Amino acid sequence: MTATLNIPVIETERLILRGPHEADFEPFAAFGASDRAIWVGGPYPRLRSWGGFLATYGHWALRGYGMWMVEHRASGATAGRIGMIFNDGWDEPELGWHIFDGFEGQGLAYEGAKAARAHAARHFGLDGVISYIDPANTRSIALARRLGATHERDGAVAGHPCHIYRHPTAEAA
Amino acid sequence: MPKNIPVIETKRLVLRGPEAEDYPDFKATFTSYRARFMGGPLNAYESWMLYAAEIGHWQIRGYGMWMIHDKDTDETYGMAGGWMPARWPEKELAWVIWPEAAGHGYALEAVDAARRFFYRERGWDGAVSYIDPKNLDSIRLAERLGAKKDNDAPTIDGSDAVYRHPSPAALRGTQLAHGIEMEISHYQDPLFKPKGWAID
Repeated sequence: MTATLNIPVIETERLILRGPHEADFEPFAAFGASDRAIWVGGPYPRLRSWGGFLATYGHWALRGYGMWMVEHRASGATAGRIGMIFNDGWDEPELGWHIFDGFEGQGLAYEGAKAARAHAARHFGLDGVISYIDPANTRSIALARRLGATHERDGAVAGHPCHIYRHPTAEAA
Repeated sequence: MPKNIPVIETKRLVLRGPEAEDYPDFKATFTSYRARFMGGPLNAYESWMLYAAEIGHWQIRGYGMWMIHDKDTDETYGMAGGWMPARWPEKELAWVIWPEAAGHGYALEAVDAARRFFYRERGWDGAVSYIDPKNLDSIRLAERLGAKKDNDAPTIDGSDAVYRHPSPAALRGTQLAHGIEMEISHYQDPLFKPKGWAID
C-alpha cells in the first residue's frame, strides 16, 4: 500500500512536469552532489538529498502545490525539477527551477518554468510570484529576465543572501 | 495529504499521518535542545524539510512516522513509526516525544502499537532502533519494549547504538509481551492515583 498524492501533470512541447517517481532519485541525488547545486545550498551528501527528495512529496501534501519533476519527452530522462516552493522561512511562495546536467542550453528551463508559472497562477492562486536567486547565478538571472521577472529587492533564504525577482502576473505575462 | 496512511487507535492515543496543522508542534521540538539526539536543534528551514520528508517517506516506502494524538483532546505528544532512509542497514522503529509530554508512557504505548501494526499487518520480521548512546531515555524505552543492544549489527555512522527489537514470535503470548502490556495498562489506569495536588 503506497500513499498517493494528486499531483497534476503538465505537458509542454518537449517536457512532462509530473510528480516524483522513485527512479528520479538517482538523477536528483547526482544533481545534489554536483557543483550545479551550489546555487541551491549544496553540494549535498546523499542522505540530505534523500531528505530533500522525500520533502518534494511532503511539500505537495502540506501546501497543496510544490515542485514537479521534469521529464524530457524525447529521452524519458529526468531533466530537472521545477515548481512552487514555500518552505518555512520563505517570505512567500517562490517559483524555482533546477536543471540537471546535460539539459541546459536548450530553453527547457524556460519552457518548463513558464508552464509551471501559468499553472500556479490559474490553479493554485499564486500569481505574480517571486524567485530567490543567488546574485552570482548569472544563468538563472538570465532566465528570470527572459521570463519577464525583474529584480525587486534583496533578501535572504535559508540564511543565504539572495536577490528577489518578481514575476509578472499571468495577465501581464 | 497522501491518502491511505492507516490510523491506529490505542486506549489513550490515535496515531495519524503527519498533517499541516501539526507542523508547529513538530517544529517546536525539533528546533529545541530536545532534538540534540536527532540531528538537531534544527533551524526553521531544516525542520520544515524534515517534516515534509516524514510525509514523503509514507509516499515512497508505504510506511512511515505517525503523529501521536491524544484520543480525547487531539493534542499531539510526539511521533512514532517506521523509518528507512536510502541505504540504511535495516528498518527502524523510531520515536520522539515532545518534552512536555514525557513521563506518561505515551511513547511506550505508541511504539508498541506501531510495532504490532508492522509485525501483524505489514509482515515485518523484526526491526531495530538506532539510538545515540547518550540518549538514556530512549535506551530505557527500547529496553522496556524488549529490545536488546546488538553489538554486531551495522550502525548508521558509527556514532549510534543498535537496539534490536524482539521478533514477532518473541511477542506472541510470552512473558515479555505480558510485561509490556501490563506496563502500558498501568499507565492507562494507574492502580495508585495520586489524589489532589502536592502542596510543596
